[in-house]
Amino acid sequence: MIMQSIFLAEAVRSLDSLTWTIVLVGIGIVFLSLLIVYWFFRYVLTFILNFRLKSFARKKGINPTEIQTVKTIQSGEVNAAIAMAIFSYFNELHDVESGVMTIKRVSRHYSPWSSKLYNMKNL
Amino acid sequence: MWTMLALLVITSLAWMAFVKPEQDRQKALAESGIEASAALPQYQQDQPEEEGLADGLMQFWAFTGFRNVTSGHLIMIVVGLIFIFLAIRYEYEPLLLVPIGTGILIGNIPFFTDGGMNLQVGIYQQGSVLNYLYFGVMKGVYPPLIFLGIGAMTDFSSLISNPRLLLLGAAAQIGIFATFIGALLLGFAPPEAGAIGIIGGADGPTAIFLSSRLANGINVLSDGTTVKNLIGPIAIAAYSYMALVPVIQPPIMRLLTNKKERLIRMKPPRAVTKTEKILFPIFGLLLTCFISPSALPLLGMLFFGNILKESGVTKRLAETARTSLIDIVTIMIGLTVGASTQADVFLTKESVLIFGLGAAAFAVATTTGVLFAKGMNLFLPEGDKINPLIGNSGVSAVPDSARVSETEGLKADKTNHLLMHAMGPNVAGVIGSAIAAGILLSYLG
Repeated sequence: MIMQSIFLAEAVRSLDSLTWTIVLVGIGIVFLSLLIVYWFFRYVLTFILNFRLKSFARKKGINPTEIQTVKTIQSGEVNAAIAMAIFSYFNELHDVESGVMTIKRVSRHYSPWSSKLYNMKNL
Repeated sequence: MWTMLALLVITSLAWMAFVKPEQDRQKALAESGIEASAALPQYQQDQPEEEGLADGLMQFWAFTGFRNVTSGHLIMIVVGLIFIFLAIRYEYEPLLLVPIGTGILIGNIPFFTDGGMNLQVGIYQQGSVLNYLYFGVMKGVYPPLIFLGIGAMTDFSSLISNPRLLLLGAAAQIGIFATFIGALLLGFAPPEAGAIGIIGGADGPTAIFLSSRLANGINVLSDGTTVKNLIGPIAIAAYSYMALVPVIQPPIMRLLTNKKERLIRMKPPRAVTKTEKILFPIFGLLLTCFISPSALPLLGMLFFGNILKESGVTKRLAETARTSLIDIVTIMIGLTVGASTQADVFLTKESVLIFGLGAAAFAVATTTGVLFAKGMNLFLPEGDKINPLIGNSGVSAVPDSARVSETEGLKADKTNHLLMHAMGPNVAGVIGSAIAAGILLSYLG
């Protein structure tokens, strides 16, 4: 175990500075890129969209404090539930039955051509 | 009697197939004044001149796979069959493993190669049909097209509603750089190590793209040596481990989390407006590609595909990109990558090392993702914490790693669905691995 650790330490020490540059810069840039995207969508875009919502509300004469901002918009789950309910209502109307039970009379007209009495065996 | 008749038919066919064309060829050569022996391939010059049926049959035998098969071919054929079995029996990434498995069978049909004879049917033989199809892998044409399809089918809503999940996608990319160091320690040249490291991104197209640029068997290093062609082993390792995500990740996730952490319920994602969905690919493209321009072929196509989807006015293009186009490219890429694993190229010590490093890469990426989620929880208020089981989704095996999060979450609490939350770091992982590939390419390309 100790020998393995020493070997590993030696091997790591043998790596040149370019390797460490690539590793550190690489990890740093991946984090930085996604942090910038995070920052943009968390703050900048939210600010822009809220600003638009509030200016739209002012034009319509609504108090801007009463409208939902991007941050307080209800969960997608609520919207999904409402959408599902509307879909069910409009597409599954056949589930609502009238409740009147009817017995349909099956009419069967007599025909001697299909009667067993007149088949060949009985001749 | 039937045996005699069958022998007669086979003899006639063999004569028509081999002896008659040879006689016609010699006749044509005699008419054109060329020495017949000069036009014969080497393997025929060494043999005593025989004519007739025996010669034709021997020639036929020399060209069959049974005559040229080696143990390497048989091993690779078994590997191909295992891939097909796993895909059909257990449905492990069947869309990838069936074309790759079949490609392995195609690439390992043994054929006559001695004496300079070239049938021009193998994937590495100039002018062969498979070689033309392999061009898309060698020149990195297919991966951006696959990214276009991925972009056209990806919904970034969960990421937009909770953008901090992007950081989990970044954390899992540490696996790439850890594997890069590991590959260097095992003696690979820096460009080869970079290409191997990207397996940790768990993204097949990205792995193929980077290995086609860095470990393509063409580039020359500063010391005058040529880099090894590792496209086949790297692609096979990446896709194999992607298929094995449901096997590799759960033990690590369970090991790194306790019961209380697995029960964390995350806030449901908010509804995302159409404007946000349209702006995400546009600003995502600009921000990420300004920082890492080398990732442009992948990120450009990914976000372009997403713009086609979210704009709402190019439905036909988005539909084509996410169905027909990506299916066609998947067939091409799977088949040719599989066929590139010819035994003599694939069964090497390097391939074994690459498979070992690939497994380590997935383990490290999963570990860093889960640990980073736990680390983020230290700074988040109660009620707004992240379930660390979605940390594994930072590797970009879409959507398998997100499914693993969901499955593991349900094991802890049958009513706690993590799939939508896990899709956030999952798609962030796609972006993160493409950025990492761009950085490696800019340094080592």
